Amino acid sequence: MTDKAYNDCVDNFADGVYRFIVKNIRHTEDAQDIVQSAFEKLWVNRAQVLPEKAKSYLFTVAYHQMIDHIRTSNKMPLSEDTAIPHQQIVQHNSELKQVLMRAVNELNPTQKSLVLLKDYEGYSYQEIAEIMNLSDSQVKVYLHRARLILKNKLSAYAPTAS
Amino acid sequence: MQLNESTYETIFLLYIDNELSPKERLEVEAFILDNPSYALEMEELKATVISSEQLQYPFKENLKQQDWEATYSTILKTNMEEIPGLSTPFKNGLKKEAAKEGIVLKPFGFSQQKFTYAAIAACLIVFIGYQQLTKTPVSNSIVSNSLANKSNKVLVPNISTESTKSDATVISNSNKQELVNNIKPITKTKKEILIQEKLNTSELEIAKTNKNVSIAIAEPTRNNSILNNQAIITKLPSSYNNPVTIDALATETSSVDKNTDLIRDEKVTTSYELIDTEDPNRAIFIANFEIDGAAFRGITRRVSALLKRNKSEKEK
Repeated sequence: MTDKAYNDCVDNFADGVYRFIVKNIRHTEDAQDIVQSAFEKLWVNRAQVLPEKAKSYLFTVAYHQMIDHIRTSNKMPLSEDTAIPHQQIVQHNSELKQVLMRAVNELNPTQKSLVLLKDYEGYSYQEIAEIMNLSDSQVKVYLHRARLILKNKLSAYAPTAS
Repeated sequence: MQLNESTYETIFLLYIDNELSPKERLEVEAFILDNPSYALEMEELKATVISSEQLQYPFKENLKQQDWEATYSTILKTNMEEIPGLSTPFKNGLKKEAAKEGIVLKPFGFSQQKFTYAAIAACLIVFIGYQQLTKTPVSNSIVSNSLANKSNKVLVPNISTESTKSDATVISNSNKQELVNNIKPITKTKKEILIQEKLNTSELEIAKTNKNVSIAIAEPTRNNSILNNQAIITKLPSSYNNPVTIDALATETSSVDKNTDLIRDEKVTTSYELIDTEDPNRAIFIANFEIDGAAFRGITRRVSALLKRNKSEKEK
């Protein structure tokens, strides 16, 4: 990977990686640190990373650093109001969206990462499996379970919202 | 893909995860149209999908690195355009004068490379010659003497290069016995000297006259009293035809050569190693080739130095 290709990766993938991390840990500064360290690692290993694999490499590195960060800091996900400034996140005001995000935040970290990688980044089961070091069937099963959990929570919240 | 009550949920989840092929997606949509009761189920699952959300990383520019390749190429391009060419005097100052032909050394008319090879060959010749000179000379008579000890025959060595096959003759035991009987050993040293002188003069005469005369020297035993049935003819003229002819001088010179052979025998034991074979008529002698280690190292050093110098000159 050339220097120019690396800078193209910054332009194209930095926002996605940041969104994925900040939605998971819900802490902007830690998410920024993780994104920065992921890109530093990409820069160091740019000679071994092919440009077409750069996005997957970035998400893989960021995901594992996020897991390490959660383990070492032993931080539970913060509440949405205190952790994420409203200026940085364009929030949809729809009530259903807020309910969905609350439900997503209540998922376990693996299910949450699966949903975010699938919905935000549009990765296939196989790509998610590579990033999260899981098998394809595990991704499929875990993600379907997460969907059903979200569906049930949305169904439970819906009468309250209405 | 079969859509029914037991499989619809999994297939719907695959549908919203966009893991179905276009054809399968059409089948699912057709199934929902045919079964409107499943439409609500599909809508509830679709609601679990998080809509895309724009979230920008605020320090994106800090992550970028200097594109050194582009920077260098730009700098190089601009500098090449801006920097004028070097002045002619400066260029002339960089030039080197070509060596004149008269100065080029060609020792003995050879080129440098050929001269190096010739020097190496000369060193090797000198080294081998030195080794040969410092080595103990082994006469043909001693070798043939040892051979005669093994076999019951006497080998006559060829001295002259012009000698024909008839010069190398084997003397039978009966003839040898005659030779031996005529030989009287002399032990006095003064006589030996006189005999040696006579022998030398007779050899000269023989060489001058080139007559059909030969000198046979029979080796006595250690105690110099009894002779075996072994005799060695040390020297024969090139025109030698009669192997039985013995000069009277031979009887006197035998003891002289005996002493010298004894001395040589001692050296032979150090120079040759005798290997017994099953065949009594055969003996194998292996010569020890001794090399002076210091002299050999010196020569190899000189040769390697010459090669290195030649290589460095070539590289220059």
